[in-house]
Amino acid sequence: MIALQQLSKKFGDRWALRPLDLSVSHGEIFGLLGHNGAGKSTAIGMMLGQVWPTGGEAHICGHDVAIDRRLALHKVGAIFETPVFYDYLSGWRNLELLSQYTAPTPPARLREVIEWVGLTGREKSKVKTYSHGMRTRLALAQALLPNPELLILDEPSDGLDPEGIHEMRQTILRLRHELGLTILLSSHLLNEVEQLCTRIAVLNKGVKVFDGTLEQIRQSRHGWVRLRVGDFAAAVADLTAQQLVVDTHDGSHVVLLPGVDTDALVRRLVEQGMRVFEIVREEQTLEGFYLELMKKKETPGVPARD
Amino acid sequence: MFWLQLRGELWKLFGKKRTYIGFGMFLLAQNIVALVFRFSNASREMVRTLEGNSYVATYYISSLTIATIMLFPIAYMLMPLYVSLVGGDLVAKEAEDGTLRMILSRPVTRVRLLLLKWIAGALFSLLLVFALGIFGVAFAALWFPWGGMFVFIPGEVFSVFGPEEGLYHFTIAHIMLWVTAVTVMGLAFMFSCFNVKPAAATVLALSFVFLNFILMNIPFFKEIQHWFFTYHLNLWQGMLVEPILWWKVGSSLTVLVAFNITFFVIGSTAFQVRDIKS
Repeated sequence: MIALQQLSKKFGDRWALRPLDLSVSHGEIFGLLGHNGAGKSTAIGMMLGQVWPTGGEAHICGHDVAIDRRLALHKVGAIFETPVFYDYLSGWRNLELLSQYTAPTPPARLREVIEWVGLTGREKSKVKTYSHGMRTRLALAQALLPNPELLILDEPSDGLDPEGIHEMRQTILRLRHELGLTILLSSHLLNEVEQLCTRIAVLNKGVKVFDGTLEQIRQSRHGWVRLRVGDFAAAVADLTAQQLVVDTHDGSHVVLLPGVDTDALVRRLVEQGMRVFEIVREEQTLEGFYLELMKKKETPGVPARD
Repeated sequence: MFWLQLRGELWKLFGKKRTYIGFGMFLLAQNIVALVFRFSNASREMVRTLEGNSYVATYYISSLTIATIMLFPIAYMLMPLYVSLVGGDLVAKEAEDGTLRMILSRPVTRVRLLLLKWIAGALFSLLLVFALGIFGVAFAALWFPWGGMFVFIPGEVFSVFGPEEGLYHFTIAHIMLWVTAVTVMGLAFMFSCFNVKPAAATVLALSFVFLNFILMNIPFFKEIQHWFFTYHLNLWQGMLVEPILWWKVGSSLTVLVAFNITFFVIGSTAFQVRDIKS
C-alpha cells in the first residue's frame, strides 16, 4: 500500500527527513511515532504530494506520487491534526465540495458516510456550530467519501478529550474491521499506538530509529525479571552460579536463562535464606521502549533496528 | 467534474460574508453620489458646461449621466480594492486556514485547482461590475429622469449621447471594466499563490497598481504612458467617447490578456513548487 524508498526532505540546510525506507502492507494499522518535528508530517506530506521530496520515491497504492499523483491518491483518505473546514458552510456542503475534488459523489453516499460517523441530524448545520469532536467526525467522513483503501491519519486525536480519544480509537478499529482499510497512523500518543497498531516506525530528528512489530518490542525484554531482595548483588552471584540467570540490568533486573521460570529463582533464594520482597516478569512497554530510543543519540549513519 | 468543482469554488467564495463587502460599499457610494447630485449644487458646473455648448442641460442631467459620474471614482478607487481583496484571498486564505492541505490530499492537480479558483475570481469580478452598472442606473433613476448621457473629463473627454446610444456606451464600458477588474484580481491572485498572508497579497497587488498609476502620471513618463500597466486598465474609459478608437481598445485588450496569462503562469509556477505544510 505504501512503499517509501530513500525518501528525504531538506528545508534549506536542515534535514526534515533523512532518507527513509518504509513499507506498509494491505490491511495493516501502521504507527508512525516521533516527537514534534521528528519528520512525521513531512513524510505524510510527501506521500500525499503536498511536499516535494529532496530525494527518493513514494509509492502509494502502487503508483509513484511524483509521477502519477492522481492515480496514487484516488483511493486515499487523509485527516490532519486540526480538522479545518469552511466554517460558514454546512457539514453536508463541506463534504460535497471536498469529495468533488476526487470524483462526483451521489447524495446517497454522503448520507451513508454521515451516518457511519454519527453526524446524522447535524449535517445541515454550519460547521462553525460543531464541537471539536464533531469536526473530527466530519474530517473522518470526508476522508471516507472516496471509498478509500488507505487512510492516512496525522495526529487524529489531537485536541480531543479522553472520551473523544477513546471514541477515535474505537472508530479506527471499526475502520479496519468493517471496511478493511489499511491505516497509517501518525501520533505521539503512545498508548493509542500501542492499542491500535501492529507495526510501527519511530522517527527521531528526521531519522528512522526503529521499524518493527509491537511483538518485537515486547520480546525485546523477554526473560527480564524485576527482583527486589535483601542483597541484590549476593542474589545475582548465587543465581548466576546456579546457571539460572545470564545477565543483570540497572541493579534491579535479572535476565533468566532460556527455559528457566521465576519459581526456580524464588525457590533457590528462599533455600539460601535470602529475603525476597518482589519478583515480577517484565514486559517491554512501548513507552519504555520509545523513551529508551529517544535517549539514544542516533546519527544518520546508524541503521534502524528491524 | 470540472463544473462541479467550479460550483464548489463558487459556494466557497459566495458563502463568505467578506465577498459582499464590495457590493455593500458600491450601494452606499452610489446612493451618496446620487443624493449629493440631487440635493446640492453639484450639478451646476455640469449645467454650465452643457449650456455653454448649446445643449439642453435638463435632458442630459439624467440617470445615465449620474450613473457614469458614479462610475469614475468607484472604478478607480473602490473596485481595485474589492477585486484584489477577493483575489488575494483565493489561495492564501485557504493556505492560512489549512483547508488547502485538505484539498491537496485529494487527486486534483495544483494547476487545475488554481484554474478553478481563477475562474471563480473572474466570475466574481463579472458580478461585481454588473452590480456596479445595474445599481448605478437603478439608484440614479430614483432621483433623475431617463435621458441623454453626458461625459466630461476636462481636457480628455467631452461626449454627448442620446439615451440609447448612451446606454450602449455605458454597457460596453462595463464590459471593458470587467477586463480591468479581472486583471487586478489576477494580479492579487498571483501574489496569493506565493507563501504570503492574504492581506499581504491584497496590499502587494494594490501597491503595484498605485505605483504604476503614480509613475504613469509623472510628467517625465507621459511620453511612454502606454508602457504602464494602469494605462491599459483605463480602456473602459475609451468606451465613453465617440468614435471609439477600436484599434486602441484592441491593443489594450491584448496587453491585458498578456498580463493575465503572465500573472497566472507566475502564480501557478510559484504554487507548483511550493511545499504545502500545516
